[in-house]
Amino acid sequence: MLKFNNVTISYGNNPTVKDFSLHVEQGQVVSLVGESGSGKTTVIRAALGLLPGGGKVTDGDILYNGKSVLTLSDAQWRKMRGTEISMIFQDSGAMMNPTKKVGDVFVEYLQTHEKISKKDAWNKGIMMLEKMRLPSGDNIMRSYPFQLSGGMRQRVGIAMGMTYSPKLLLADEPTSALDVTTQAQIVRQMMALRDVYGTSIIVVTHNLGVAAYMSDYIVVMKHGVIEDQGDRDHILHHSENEYTRKLLEAVPSLGGERYV
Amino acid sequence: MFNENAEVILEANHITRKFPAAGGKTLLANNDISLKLYKGKTLGLVGESGCGKSTFMRFLVMLDKPTEGEILFQGKDLTKLKGEELRQFRRHIQMVFQDPANSFNPKLRIRDIVCEPLMNFGLITKEEKDAKCRELLEMVELPGDFADRYPHNMSGGQRQRVAIARALALHPEILILDEATSALDVSVQKTVIDLVTKLQREKGITIGFICHDIALVASCAHQVAVMYLGNLVEVLPGDELHTRAVHPYTKALMGSIFDINMDFSKPIESIDSEAPSPLDVPAGCPFANRCDSCMEICKTERPVMTDYAPDHQVACHLFKNSSL
Ligand SMILES: Nc1ncnc2c1ncn2[C@@H]1O[C@H](COP(=O)(O)OP(=O)(O)O)[C@@H](O)[C@H]1O
Ligand SMILES: Nc1ncnc2c1ncn2[C@@H]1O[C@H](COP(=O)(O)OP(=O)(O)O)[C@@H](O)[C@H]1O
Ligand code: SF4
Ligand SMILES: [Mg+2]
Ligand SMILES: [Mg+2]
Repeated sequence: MLKFNNVTISYGNNPTVKDFSLHVEQGQVVSLVGESGSGKTTVIRAALGLLPGGGKVTDGDILYNGKSVLTLSDAQWRKMRGTEISMIFQDSGAMMNPTKKVGDVFVEYLQTHEKISKKDAWNKGIMMLEKMRLPSGDNIMRSYPFQLSGGMRQRVGIAMGMTYSPKLLLADEPTSALDVTTQAQIVRQMMALRDVYGTSIIVVTHNLGVAAYMSDYIVVMKHGVIEDQGDRDHILHHSENEYTRKLLEAVPSLGGERYV
Repeated sequence: MFNENAEVILEANHITRKFPAAGGKTLLANNDISLKLYKGKTLGLVGESGCGKSTFMRFLVMLDKPTEGEILFQGKDLTKLKGEELRQFRRHIQMVFQDPANSFNPKLRIRDIVCEPLMNFGLITKEEKDAKCRELLEMVELPGDFADRYPHNMSGGQRQRVAIARALALHPEILILDEATSALDVSVQKTVIDLVTKLQREKGITIGFICHDIALVASCAHQVAVMYLGNLVEVLPGDELHTRAVHPYTKALMGSIFDINMDFSKPIESIDSEAPSPLDVPAGCPFANRCDSCMEICKTERPVMTDYAPDHQVACHLFKNSSL
């Protein structure tokens, strides 16, 4: 459903991501792993038409259901984002207007995507929050973002992004700012989306454990290029790529290598 | 037993820290914490954000004082030190933070940053700075020429090595690392941990290692202390964490780790509810509202740390009548 064909992405005149190719199937979970600066965020933002200033796809093409997304107008993007494709960032709370209550942000979001009264939108918001296993949705709707924990804000962000059961979810380090028990909750919820709605997921993470748990297919990036790729079992157990091995060996594991 | 011949170097007894909060409330950041550091060994302090790890370690480096309790080190109570004596004691216990970029003055060269503690204590002259800095940089496996650089011209891992060089410049007996590797890429994290454990072996330094990654803590601490909501819940040897931990919270923490060697066909465990606010710590066990084994007594009576096995203490009503 999503295809990157030999994509090069540049900031100014600097080609940052080079010759990136990847095909994501319906219902597949793909993770992009690699160290900071390797270009993971750049790839995922390009697929959403959200490259930061100066960033541009300078070669190749990105196709969504066979159609290039590179030529979409702003209005077409607005329609796609949220309904077809959704995105979760590292801290969804930081994306919310801090002076607005969560409920008002949620209602506004729903009203940009469908004709719905304020009251119905409010109730729909509560329903979505409860689907994300956030209890007392009404309370959360009446809170300001800073009054919620990072994990709750993240779940609000996911709840919003999930409203229209998008076919593709792009998640950029969705759990990196969270504690481990909260991370586990969020990962479970993302996986439930795939299992229930068949949503395809591309997840960017520097946590190889999370990548391994979630993904059918893993792409290892280094300095803007794909260094290694394959299905989970291949990457974890059979890859002969030196860089992949080095990354895996550096991951601390309970009951694994000890330093003392 | 890891501490059979190990000598206690520092002993914290019944440390409590209350912070005044809005609306006349009190935030209980540390509740009756007692811990020992052993010479040349690492104490790993693990728990989720806000559970009080940094609050505790800050007492050891004398950046804050507890509301109650004592910290014994070299025959003195650190919480009572003042003036010049306090200044002199700071030499013995140094700390490295998560993001060295924030703790360095960006206008200073690495030479001045690394040698600053030595200059403050009048231990070297200006002329000796360059040689001393090179020596310290080489100790942390950085090229001596880095002395001329500015902090922003280095990678995160290199800056963290500089922070370690600076912290060790005064030959402290104890080094506190507060999430010192948490912002680094895993492969860089590994090289920093390799360095720290090597320096520990060579110099016999005692380490207090704060980290939210329980797998990392288990791999590099001799003794692991698990905190939850301001309370200590379990203390045990690092090499037994994985097989012998018994506290329901410790087990929940371990169960929610994504490990590359885990069984992917099993769903990850997770605690669905939120932790209570540290402004409203429950009367009984702090973990009661999220614990699958919660009993009546847990809601009213706070379990205290009790010996469970050699070098292993736990605060949980399930383990009161242990076989010890
Ligand atoms: N807005 C930008 N302008 C210029 N360069 C950028 C911008 N955003 C990212 N880069 C550069 O692109 C490279 C890849 O960055 P990024 O995609 O954020 O990597 P990752 O997400 O893997 O950490 C880095 O070298 C980074 O400095
Ligand atoms: N100076 C302070 N004033 C008020 N509250 C504080 C202060 N320092 C820490 N706290 C609170 O104490 C609790 C424990 O914080 P901290 O020790 O930093 O946790 P950790 O290091 O485990 O993440 C938190 O709820 C935090 O907000
Ligand atoms: S004391 Fe009770 S509630 Fe607390 S951890 Fe033990 S069993 Fe659970
Ligand atoms: Mg990124
Ligand atoms: Mg802290």
